[in-house]
Amino acid sequence: MPIEASRTRYTSVAQALHWIIAALIVTQFTLGWMGEDLPLGAHKLSLLARHKSFGMTVLMLAVLRLSWRLFNPPPPLPDGMSKIERFLARATHGAFYVLLFAMPLTGWLMSSAKNYSVSWFGLFTWPDLIAPNERAFDFLKGTHDLLSNVLFAVAVLHILAAVKHHFWNKDDVFRRMLPFTKTEKQL
Amino acid sequence: MNSSRAYGLLAGVAVTLLSTVSIDVFAAGYSADPAQSHLEFTGVQAGADFKGVFHKFTAAVNFSADALATSHFDVQIDMSSEDSKDKDRDQTVKGPDVFDVAHNPTAHYVTKSITKTASGYSAVGSLTLRGVTKDVPIDFQFTQAGSGAKLEGSAKLKRLDFGVGQGEWKSTEMVNDAVKVSFSLLLKPNT
Repeated sequence: MPIEASRTRYTSVAQALHWIIAALIVTQFTLGWMGEDLPLGAHKLSLLARHKSFGMTVLMLAVLRLSWRLFNPPPPLPDGMSKIERFLARATHGAFYVLLFAMPLTGWLMSSAKNYSVSWFGLFTWPDLIAPNERAFDFLKGTHDLLSNVLFAVAVLHILAAVKHHFWNKDDVFRRMLPFTKTEKQL
Repeated sequence: MNSSRAYGLLAGVAVTLLSTVSIDVFAAGYSADPAQSHLEFTGVQAGADFKGVFHKFTAAVNFSADALATSHFDVQIDMSSEDSKDKDRDQTVKGPDVFDVAHNPTAHYVTKSITKTASGYSAVGSLTLRGVTKDVPIDFQFTQAGSGAKLEGSAKLKRLDFGVGQGEWKSTEMVNDAVKVSFSLLLKPNT
């Protein structure tokens, strides 16, 4: 991979992981909202089975993404960003990484606590992390719900920042994560 | 005491002794100790196994390895004692669409025949579950332990054969038809 490209743009692997995980998170919110208030029934089980399979997929991709990032550092933030902007950008990205692990892990834990083991698309079953426990389930569900609200807020901030960079600052910050585009420095 | 009465008494003792000996060709009687016996089922829900136990059941067992023809089990299960460690699921499982505990409070298993197999024994018996009676084979091991015994085994059945799963639970998409039942009973000799 050319050094110049990796300095101004995210690598294509990082881009692919970003957009796949983004699409999965949108799916997760949709399935979670649809499933959580339903009474126990085949429809709820079906929605939540998919939610759990996609969630475990996010966890696996998060491991991959963090490992990739360690060896392929992201391009530096553009010059001219204020200290507070830099802090916000780092905090948002840091929060995303924490949540990419915390969301699936609390979900997995709450499935174990309620004694509904997690299958991955019916292909194999993940081991239970803790013994069934109603109080643990209530606590973990509360945590999973709370973190989902944090994730939603962070995602909104992230999208607004991308829009601001692209249309207001007119810099490369959005495009360097967008596949099939070119950033100015590369030309 | 004259001699004829003495012979009569002896004959009586002999008959009693003989009849005691003859009991040996009948299987010995046991019952399961509830505190040390376990009965569970394993189903598959959305691709993942889940287990439920029955806390209350009775098992009357007559068994002798050399008297299989007269060996026999009779198991009564209190269906309301089902516990899968999730009250939402237990409520559904005991409800009208699944076990329908209100109308079918007990399940009953009675053996019809027991045969020796390579690894242990095999029984064929009739299971009455949710008001439906069907033959279900059981594979088991019988191990003598002191004056009692250990009885361990398992059976495979199809829940829909017994109508376990009505309405939306009739579908096998979310809950498989196949269910495994396994048990480990500590048997105490009947006194």
